Amino acid sequence: MKKYYLYKIVCLLLLTGGSFSCTSDLNFDQVNDLKLTPVFEANFSYFNVPATAFVSSTGLEYQWAYDEQEFDVFRDKYLNSYLQKVDFYFEINNTINRAYVLNVVLLDDNSNALTTINFNVPAYSGTTNTITRTEIFENMRLELLKRARKMRFLIAMEPGPTLNANSTGSIVLRSSATVYTEIQ
Amino acid sequence: MLLIVVTCFSQNKQVLYNLTSVPQSMMLNPGADFKYKYYFGVPMLSGFSFKVGSSGFSAYDLFANDGVDFNEKLRKVVYSTTRNDHAAINEQIELFNGGIKLGDWLENKGYLSFGLYQEFDFWSYMPKDPAILALDGNQNYIGKAFDLSDLSMKAEVLSVLHVGYHKNVSDNLIVGARGKIYFSGFNATSTQNSGYILTRPSNTTMYEQIVRSNLTLNTSGISKYIADDYDGDVASDVKKQLLFGGDMGLGFDLGFTYYPKKNTQITASILDVGFVRHSKDVENFTYKGYYKYEGINPGFSGNDDPDGVYSDFNESVKRDTLYNKYTTWRPVKLNASYQYSYGVNRDEDCVCEAGEKPYKNAVGAQLFIMSTPRLPITALTGFYQRNVSGKLQLKATYTLDSYSYTNIGLGLSARLGAFNMYFMGDNLLGYRDLSKANSLSVQFGFNFIFKDSNEPPNK
Repeated sequence: MKKYYLYKIVCLLLLTGGSFSCTSDLNFDQVNDLKLTPVFEANFSYFNVPATAFVSSTGLEYQWAYDEQEFDVFRDKYLNSYLQKVDFYFEINNTINRAYVLNVVLLDDNSNALTTINFNVPAYSGTTNTITRTEIFENMRLELLKRARKMRFLIAMEPGPTLNANSTGSIVLRSSATVYTEIQ
Repeated sequence: MLLIVVTCFSQNKQVLYNLTSVPQSMMLNPGADFKYKYYFGVPMLSGFSFKVGSSGFSAYDLFANDGVDFNEKLRKVVYSTTRNDHAAINEQIELFNGGIKLGDWLENKGYLSFGLYQEFDFWSYMPKDPAILALDGNQNYIGKAFDLSDLSMKAEVLSVLHVGYHKNVSDNLIVGARGKIYFSGFNATSTQNSGYILTRPSNTTMYEQIVRSNLTLNTSGISKYIADDYDGDVASDVKKQLLFGGDMGLGFDLGFTYYPKKNTQITASILDVGFVRHSKDVENFTYKGYYKYEGINPGFSGNDDPDGVYSDFNESVKRDTLYNKYTTWRPVKLNASYQYSYGVNRDEDCVCEAGEKPYKNAVGAQLFIMSTPRLPITALTGFYQRNVSGKLQLKATYTLDSYSYTNIGLGLSARLGAFNMYFMGDNLLGYRDLSKANSLSVQFGFNFIFKDSNEPPNK
């Protein structure tokens, strides 16, 4: 009889445990819905060119400054596939008493221009002289950006008071990128 | 001949600890006050234990079928947890287990126990900062350094061959030790990471952006499984290398049971003080370096760095595969208990056999500490144990730990002749809804125990 008594207790415990436990409806397939949409802030470009950089050692003016940089971020095929949208924010502060035109040109592997961003920068006249702009790259324009492999900077000086070795001020570009991605 | 032990518990086995009518209690304290003539289990079926635990979130939080977008739930879990929250899985399968009393029935030569079990162990901290970076990016976190040391995980499969011995060194003191040889099936350890990803405002460039990375993942025994051309069966291949095929290590357990008074008992044990030396099929994956990103900046000088940002970064923060041997330490477990017994069974009043417990009730407290890659985890348990009869013991526990403040456990051990069975569960309140429980455990087992007796064997 004692054996049955033990069995009874064991069975009773199992039954009570079994009947009181339950589990909410779970769906592990939801993992397939995983979609990451991080937004990254990054430096895009920067320069600080003093007025004297437009003056040669002999005192003559250079009418422009030019440079070309490798731009290989979009060689990464993963980044390319995740990209949804890119905003480039530009902030140009000119403290030289000359006006400038700044061209930022994105080039493909064969140095063909894909898109050009133009800025007309007024001459400094004693008051704050900052211009800002946000260039948005999405859809067709984003596809152009993905093909970019080089970036060309051209600063052309507009006519105005002659600069010399003692000229003050500088033209400063600060630029950042806001990169919208979607990873699925 | 049937001996099945199915256990689902955290590595803290608070219901089983010091429940000395069950032979498996010796695996938690090699100096447990467990007496037998001999006991044994059926090969492959002598024990199975499984534990899943997560602090900070439950399966329900992530996978509830409630129509809420999975990404929303994931975000909520990531933001509501801390970097010290963790998920852990521990599984043990006993291949065989047995023990025998040494010497004649009158001799005090101690007790031998031995066995072989396989263990799977997984531990991962919540990689909080990298998860936030992946979910939301750095846009809303300018000024924050995303801490790469949040990445901390380990996984391993090993076989453990063990031999233990315990003995009454005096009337009121039992000491025991267990030696262990570990055979590692595979190991992946990434617990020594550091570095950060930082974006903060700057006076010149728009931001100061720094990646400092010192990440290492050590692996042994897995290179063939992660190779691109692997087409074997992982489960059967791991089994093959589990015994004598992989790396080896050594370890030990120590423990004692002490009775300062007849009705007062103190026990303590330290388990798995040991290491595994990984030397076969070792691969270390590292991602190390420092890169300060300032943008794509023209110098207008005609002397430019011909490399672009992308290749600069890849040269500065390098991915490497090395083949260096390494050593891992087993998670050390510390158990201790204090127990006060009272209420003598009337019919057993005068059969107070040495070492056996004539008391009907016992109350006490237990402490459990386990080492982890960061701070040790601690659990405090209060318990009540009742000898319903010589054949039936019940134990109830209440445990405070990092998983839950409402962990109530119950255990039962019953004997029919030589046949012993036990049923245990903890976090019983979690059974109201399993999916919402942070950790769960159920244990049951069947043993054949042939009792030590004070009578001559031929009587």
